[in-house]
Amino acid sequence: MTRDRPVSVLDASDLPTVVFGPRSTLWWGVMGIMTIEGMMFAIMAVSYYYLRGTAQMWPPSGVVHPGVGITTLSLAVLLASMAPAYLAARAISREDLRGARNWFAVTVLFGIAALVLRAMVLDRLTFLWNSHAYGSLIWTTAGLHITHIFTGTVENILFVILLHRGPVEDKHLLDARLNSFYWYFVALSWVPFYVIFWLDPALLALRSAALP
Amino acid sequence: MSAEPISYPDDDALAEDRRRLEETWKSRPGLLGWISEVGHAKLGKRYVVTAFVFFALGGIEAALMRIQLARPEAGFLDPDLYNQIFTMHGSTMMFLFAVPMMLGLGVYLVPLMIGARNMAFPRLNAFSYFTYLAGGLLLYSFFFLNIGPDAGWFSYVPLAGPDYSPGKRADVWAQLITFTEISGLAVAVNLITTIFKHRAPGMSLNRLPLYVWSMLVTSFMVVFAMPAIMLASLMLAMDRLVDTHFFNPAEGGDAILWQHLFWFFGHPEVYMIFLPATGIVSTLIAVFSRRQTFGYLTLVLSLVATGFIGFGLWVHHMFATGLPQLGQSFFTAASIMIAIPSGAQVFCWLATLWGGKLRFRTPLMYVLGFIFTFVMGGLTGVMLASVPLDLQVHDTFFVVAHFHYVLIGGAVFPLLGGLFYWFPKMTGRMLSEKLGHLSFWLVFLGFNLTFFPQHILGLNGMPRRVYTYPPETGWGDLNLLSSLGAVVLALGVLVYVFNALRSLRSGPIAGDDPWESESLEWATSSPPPPYNFHLIPTVSDRYPLWTRTGDEPVVTGLKSDRREVLVTNTLDAELDHRDTSPGPSFSPFFLAVGVAVTFITSIFTPWGVVIGAVPCFLALLAWFWPRLDQGHTVLKEKKS
Amino acid sequence: MSGHVFSAVQQSALDPAGPQAERIGDVWWLMFWVCAVVMALVTLALLGGLLHARRRRESEAPQPIAPESHRRMTWVVSGALATTAVILLVLLAASVSTGRALGSLTSPDALVIEVIGRQWWWEVRYMDDQPSNILTDANEIHIPVGRPVLIRGTSRDVIHSLWVPNLHGKKDLIPGYVTDTWIQADRPGVFRGQCAEFCGLQHAHMAFLVVAEPPAKFQAWRAAASQPARPPRTPLELRGQQVFLNRQCALCHTVLGTDAGGRIGPDLTHVASRRTLGAGTLPNTRGHLAGWIVDPQSVKPGNRMPQNPMPSEDLLALLAYLESLQ
Ligand code: HEA
Ligand code: HEA
Ligand code: HEC
Ligand code: CUA
Ligand SMILES: [Cu+2]
Repeated sequence: MTRDRPVSVLDASDLPTVVFGPRSTLWWGVMGIMTIEGMMFAIMAVSYYYLRGTAQMWPPSGVVHPGVGITTLSLAVLLASMAPAYLAARAISREDLRGARNWFAVTVLFGIAALVLRAMVLDRLTFLWNSHAYGSLIWTTAGLHITHIFTGTVENILFVILLHRGPVEDKHLLDARLNSFYWYFVALSWVPFYVIFWLDPALLALRSAALP
Repeated sequence: MSAEPISYPDDDALAEDRRRLEETWKSRPGLLGWISEVGHAKLGKRYVVTAFVFFALGGIEAALMRIQLARPEAGFLDPDLYNQIFTMHGSTMMFLFAVPMMLGLGVYLVPLMIGARNMAFPRLNAFSYFTYLAGGLLLYSFFFLNIGPDAGWFSYVPLAGPDYSPGKRADVWAQLITFTEISGLAVAVNLITTIFKHRAPGMSLNRLPLYVWSMLVTSFMVVFAMPAIMLASLMLAMDRLVDTHFFNPAEGGDAILWQHLFWFFGHPEVYMIFLPATGIVSTLIAVFSRRQTFGYLTLVLSLVATGFIGFGLWVHHMFATGLPQLGQSFFTAASIMIAIPSGAQVFCWLATLWGGKLRFRTPLMYVLGFIFTFVMGGLTGVMLASVPLDLQVHDTFFVVAHFHYVLIGGAVFPLLGGLFYWFPKMTGRMLSEKLGHLSFWLVFLGFNLTFFPQHILGLNGMPRRVYTYPPETGWGDLNLLSSLGAVVLALGVLVYVFNALRSLRSGPIAGDDPWESESLEWATSSPPPPYNFHLIPTVSDRYPLWTRTGDEPVVTGLKSDRREVLVTNTLDAELDHRDTSPGPSFSPFFLAVGVAVTFITSIFTPWGVVIGAVPCFLALLAWFWPRLDQGHTVLKEKKS
Repeated sequence: MSGHVFSAVQQSALDPAGPQAERIGDVWWLMFWVCAVVMALVTLALLGGLLHARRRRESEAPQPIAPESHRRMTWVVSGALATTAVILLVLLAASVSTGRALGSLTSPDALVIEVIGRQWWWEVRYMDDQPSNILTDANEIHIPVGRPVLIRGTSRDVIHSLWVPNLHGKKDLIPGYVTDTWIQADRPGVFRGQCAEFCGLQHAHMAFLVVAEPPAKFQAWRAAASQPARPPRTPLELRGQQVFLNRQCALCHTVLGTDAGGRIGPDLTHVASRRTLGAGTLPNTRGHLAGWIVDPQSVKPGNRMPQNPMPSEDLLALLAYLESLQ
C-alpha cells in the first residue's frame, strides 16, 4: 500500500542538522544515562540507611573520621570543577574551539586534583571494604563515584585532544556541551554522600572522642 | 503544520530517489554484515528469534522438571541437577526470554509503527543485542560445564553468598544479571528517545499507538527498576569475590537487604513483561474486532498507573519475613489496588469485543485465551496480596500457579498471538490458520491442565522448589495431571514452531497489509525495506490506515545519499531537525566483547575490571572516532 | 509405632486445626467465592461478547465507535470499575482485620519453643526460665492442645521457613533475626510441616512433625524427654554405646548422660522415641535406621552426615543402643 504518488509534501530539506538541549536526541540519551546512574547512587544511599537501621553500632567501632578538612576540600574541588566545564560549554556555544579546549584542559586538572584528594581521603580511612558492612558501603560508593570522575576526566581529555587536533564537526558542538552537562552530574552526585558519610553526627562525635 | 502542494518532479525522480535510499541503507553482506548490522528490523528479528530459542530451552528445562515431579520419589533428576534446572528455567524465562522478547519486539515494531527509519541510537541497539547474547551464552556454557546457578531465580542470600555457595555457580548468575540488565537498560533509553524524537509528523503523543505507549511505559520502568538489581548483583559478586559484607549479618550486613533490592526490581520486572503484552492485546483487539479499541485514554492511564503503582508492591514477596504489621498493610493495599488499572484494561477490551465484528483468526484466539487466563491469574494475585492468606500459600505451588497464569496467560499468549500477527510483516509470508488454531487449542488446554492443579497442590501443602515429595503426601496424582498437561502444552508450542518453519519456506505471500490493519507498519512493504518508508508518512489520527483519505502529505527533502532521518518534537511531533543515522559498524560488537571479557574474567578475579577496561576503551574510541562521511560541516578554529 | 504417620499425613491449609489456620481459612473461602464470582462474570461477559458479535462480511470497513454506544460502554465500564473498587475495599478490610486478629492471638503464659533452622533439619528447644531445664530435641515439635505456643525462630545458616499448614501460615527463619510465630492446636493430632524457603540441596527433605497432645500427655512427654539417656542395660547395648562414642558419632551428636556432646547434628538422647529419621525423610524403623547410619547419603544426598561403613556386629550393637534411647 505504499503510495507512489504523494499529493502534497512537507519539505524537510531546510531543517537544521545540529540542535541543542532537549530538541536533540543525544540529550535524551545522556539524560537516560544520568537517570540510571542517579538511581544507582540513590539506591546506594538507601542501602546505607537500611543497614544503619539494622546495625547494633553505627559506625562500627574503630572507625575514625578521615578529617573534616580533607573531605570538604575534596568536595569543594569537585564542585569548583564545574566552573571550567561551564566555561568550556559557553565557549563551545560561541564556536570558540580554542577557548573550549583550554577550559576543558582546566577541567581535567580539577578532575585529577579531585582524584588525588579522593585517594587521600580513602587512605585515611581506618577500615577496608572487607572490615564490615559499613566499610563495604563506603568503599563501594566511593569506588563507583571515583570511576565516574575517572571516566569523566578521560572524556574531558579526549575532548581536549579532539578540539586541539580536529577535525571538529558541527555535531561535536552538541557532544561537547553534553559532556559538560554530564560532568555537572558527576560533580553534584557526590554532594549527598558528602552529607551522609562525612557530616554524619555520629561519625563527627567519634572524631572528637578520638582526638584527645 | 502546513503542507505544500506536490512539488515532486515525476515518477523517474522518485524511482531514482528510492534506488539511492536502497544503496545507502543496505547492510554489509555475509558474516561481517551480521556483526556490523545496525538496522532495527534485523536486530529486532534477531532478538525475537534468540529469545524464542531461550524460550525453547527454558521449556525443555520445564519438561525435565515435570518428568521428575510426575511421580513421588522419582529418580530422574538428582537434587543437584534439579536445583540447577529450576534456577536455569526461571532465570532463562525471565531474563533471557520474557524481557528481551518484549524489548526486542519493541525494537522491531516501534520504529515501524511511528514512521521512523531506525532507532535513535542504532549502534547502541546492536551493542544491546550482543550483550544480551553474551549473557545467554555465558549462562548456558557454564551450565553445560556443570557450573549452572542453583539458588533460584532470585538467588537469596546467604544461600547464594560465599559461605553456602562455594564454587562459581552464584557468580555466573550474578554476571548473567549484569549482562542482561545492561542490555535492557540500553534498549530502554533507546526506545524512549526513539519514541520521543522520531515520530512521524502529526503523531502527537495522544495519537501514539497503544502498543507504543506500552513500550514507552515499560522502558521507563526499566530505567528506574533495573539499576537496583545491577547494584544488588554487584554487591553479591563483591561479597563473594572481595569479601565485602553487604549481606553478612555477622559483620553488620543484612540478608533482607538483598530481598528488598531484588524485589524492588523484581516486581516491576513482571510488569515489564506484562505491559508490552497489553499493548499487543490492544492492537490485536482493534484489528480483529474491526473497530477502534474502546477507551484510549483509560488504557493509557492504566498503563501509566500500573507503571507507578508497580514500584510500590515489592514487599508482597516478603510477607513471610515478618515485617511490621503496618508496613504490610500498606503493601497489601497497594497490591490490591493495582487490580483497578488491570480491571480497567480488561473491561475496555471486553467492551471493544462486544459489538465488534469478530474475525476469529489465530491472533484473536490467543487474545481471548489471554483474557480468561490473565484474569484468573490476576485474581489469584489479589489473593496473594492478602498477608494472612499469603503466609499460607507463599512459596508453594499456589504461587507457581499464579505466576504461570499471569506470565504465560498474561504475556506468552498475547506474544504468540502477536508474533502470528506480525509474522507476515517480518517475513512476507502468512502462517497457516489451521495449524494456528490447532496450536492455540493445544496450548490453551495444555496450559490449564498443567497449572490449574498446582493451585490445589499449594493449598495441600506442597512447597515449591522441592525435587521430590513422599508418596504419603498424596500429591502424586495432581502432579501427574500437571505433567501430562505440560506434554499437551509442549505439543502446542511445537505445532506453532512447525507452522512458522513451514511458512518461512512455503507460506502464501502476504502483501503489505494482509489483515487490513490500522497502524503504520502496514503502510510499507512486507518485509519492509531497510529504510522502512520511502517517503515518511504523516499522521492525523490514532488509526492512520483506517481513516486515511489518500491526500495526507508525506515528508520529502531528506537526503537519500546518506542515512538521514527526521527528528520531530517531543509532544506534538512537528518537524524539528534532520539527523544522520550511523551505518554498519563493528564497534558495538567489539564493545560487547570488551564488556563480556570484563564480566567473565571478573567471575574469577577482581582484576577482570581492569583487564576488561582496555578492550572496552579501544572499542569506545573506535565508536566515537570522528568520521567525516556523515555530512557534517567541519569547523575551522577561529583565529581571534 | 510410626507407620501411621506415613500413611495418613495431615498437611493442608484447608483443614485447620487451630485458631490461626482457622482465620486464614476464612479469608481463603471469602477470597475464593468472591474471585469465583468475578471469574464467572468475566467469563460470561467474554462469551456473551463473542455471541453478541455479529460476523461481518469480510470487506466491511472498520468503524469508529458510534457516540451513543460509546456512552453506553462508558457507563458499563465505569460501573464495573466502581464495583471492582468496592470489592477490593471489602477484601482489603477482611485481610487487614484478619491480620490484626492473628496478631492478637498471644498470651503471657504461652509455651515458648525456639526453633532453629539448620541445613536440613530442625533444632527444637523448649525454653524455660531455668537454663538447665531447657530441653533440646529435633525434627518434632510437641505442643499441648489448647495452649498458645510462641515459636521463636531463627537460623544457623541460610534462610528456612517454618510451615505447618494445618496450624498457621509460614514464617521465615533468618540468620541474624528472631521471628515470632504464635500457634495453637485445638485438637490432638500429628501435623506434618515442611521447610518452605529454598535452602539448598535437601530443601525437599526438611520436614518435621508437630505432635499435639492433651496437656497431661504433653507434660508426661516433656518430663520423660528431659531425662538424660537411659544407660545401656545389655552387653550389646553397652557395646553399641562404645561404638557410638568411639566412632565419630559423638563429634556431631549429643546424647545426654554420656560424653557425646556434638552440636552439628540432631540431639539423639531420645532418638528412638521420634517418629522419623532425617527430618521426616524416613520412618524410624530398625531397617531404616541401619540404612541411614551406614549410608545417609543415598537416602538424602548431600546432607551433612557422612557415610559410616562398619562391621555388621558393630552396626547391630549400635542399633541396639540407639533403639534403647527411648
Ligand atoms: C506477568 C507477570 C505478573 C503479573 C501481571 C502479576 C500480577 C499480580 N501479582 Fe504476581 N507474581 C508474578 C508475576 C506477575 N504477577 C511472579 C513471577 C511472581 C512470583 C515470583 C517468584 O516468587 O518466583 C508473582 C508473585 C506474586 C506475589 C507474591 C507471592 C508469594 O511469593 O508469596 C503476590 C502477592 O501479592 C502477587 C500479586 C499480584 C497482584 C495483586 C497482581 C495484579 O497485578 C493482578 C491484577 C489483575 C486482576 C485482578 C485481574 C483483572 C481485574 C479484573 C477483572 C477486575 C475485577 C477484579 C476484582 C474485583 C478482584 N504476585
Ligand atoms: C515467562 C516465564 C515462564 C514461562 C513461559 C514458563 C513456562 C513453564 N514453566 Fe515455569 N517458571 C518460571 C517462569 C516461566 N515458566 C519462573 C520464574 C519460575 C520460578 C523459578 C524459581 O523458583 O527460581 C518457574 C518455575 C516453574 C516450576 C516450579 C519448579 C519448582 O518450584 O520446583 C514449574 C513446575 O512445574 C514450571 C513449569 C513450567 C512449564 C511446564 C512451562 C511451560 O509453559 C513451558 C512450555 C514450553 C515448552 C515445553 C517448550 C517446547 C518447545 C520446544 C521443545 C521447541 C523446540 C525448539 C525449537 C525447534 C526452536 N515452572
Ligand atoms: C559430620 C557430622 C556427623 C557425624 C560424624 C554423624 N552424624 Fe548423624 N547426623 C548428622 C547430621 C547433620 C544429621 C541431620 C541430617 C539431616 O537430617 O539433614 C544427622 C542425623 C542423624 C540421625 C537422624 C536423627 C533424626 O532425628 O533425624 C541419626 C539417627 C544419626 N545421625 C546417627 C548417627 C550415628 C549413629 C553416627 C555415627 C556412626 C553419626 N550419626 C555420625 C551429622 C553427623
Ligand atoms: Cu530449609 Cu528449605
Ligand atoms: Cu510482585
